[in-house]
Amino acid sequence: MIISELETRLGYRCVQSAYNDAPLAAGYTSDLLSDVMAHAEEGSVLVTIQAHRNAIAVASMTGIAAMVVCNSRPLPDDMMEAARDEHIAVFLTDKNQFTVSGEIYGKISTQ
Amino acid sequence: MSGRRSIYRADLHLHSCLSPCGSLDSSPTRIAQRAASLGLDLIALTDHNSALNCPTFARACHAHGIVPLFGLEATSTEEVHCLCLFEGVEESLELGRLLYQHLPEIPNIPEISGDQVFVDEGETIIGSVEKQLTAAASLSMDQIAAYVLDLNGLFIPAHIDRYVNSVSSQLGFLPEAPYSAVEVTKNPCPVDTRAYPVVTNSDAHYLHDIGIRFTSFEARAATFEGYAAALREGRVKPHF
Repeated sequence: MIISELETRLGYRCVQSAYNDAPLAAGYTSDLLSDVMAHAEEGSVLVTIQAHRNAIAVASMTGIAAMVVCNSRPLPDDMMEAARDEHIAVFLTDKNQFTVSGEIYGKISTQ
Repeated sequence: MSGRRSIYRADLHLHSCLSPCGSLDSSPTRIAQRAASLGLDLIALTDHNSALNCPTFARACHAHGIVPLFGLEATSTEEVHCLCLFEGVEESLELGRLLYQHLPEIPNIPEISGDQVFVDEGETIIGSVEKQLTAAASLSMDQIAAYVLDLNGLFIPAHIDRYVNSVSSQLGFLPEAPYSAVEVTKNPCPVDTRAYPVVTNSDAHYLHDIGIRFTSFEARAATFEGYAAALREGRVKPHF
């Protein structure tokens, strides 16, 4: 699947659309950014509730292309600004990390 | 104030019986007694998300001739522990009220999590706190920092080099923000502390841990202002 399909196929609301639409090869689910830094793969989607500007910095460092923020967590302005600058796609959903991971996994693994 | 500067010793991260993970023996009176016997000059009570033992701590420190600061260890929505320190009891209680409003409605179960009691100088229990104090408040680190600084307090990310509930575990690295200092537990600290003043404290949950780590500071007096000025002017030294 490609990044934009997080919205068109899975219904997550895109809240930062200045990104280059690209295929998603993998995903990582974690709320500890130290763990994300250590394990996330390039070109992946991050599923998390850790809505903080550091999440965008970690995405840039590791090559994460998109992020789905779960449980409708509030998105700080400085985080959204950083996401626009770094062209990281950000989606928001009221679903939890378990559900979102399952939905995305189903789409990526059947590619 | 004029006069020569002296070196003082501060341990500004202490838990009492109000923290569910703290020992029931750690009453404000015994903490003050123990700290005074160790020769500490400045100590702070910093229970998780509550300052309800601070009024008793003020009287206990006065009785034992040791200077108190009043604070709490806030848990932000990122689940980062943050030391918030004040000169007065009122400010600590005010921040405590704000945090309590922003804690989730999870009742504390003493049999599982531990007691959360506040006591008088004679160690008689005055009351207990209903919500679980180790939960995270729905306020960001930045929001808590702004509130603390607005109340003229000190905002210090706690134990930034620990694997749990630290800025490095939760957020990967230390983001830039108006911290008064950063607290570390090890030397050398594996986390980049940028240019912030570095302090250490015991984070004692038991009486025998008080003072195992402390920070010396050079000031004209062992007071909140003396410590704050030492932070601003780089006259602090952590001891491990």
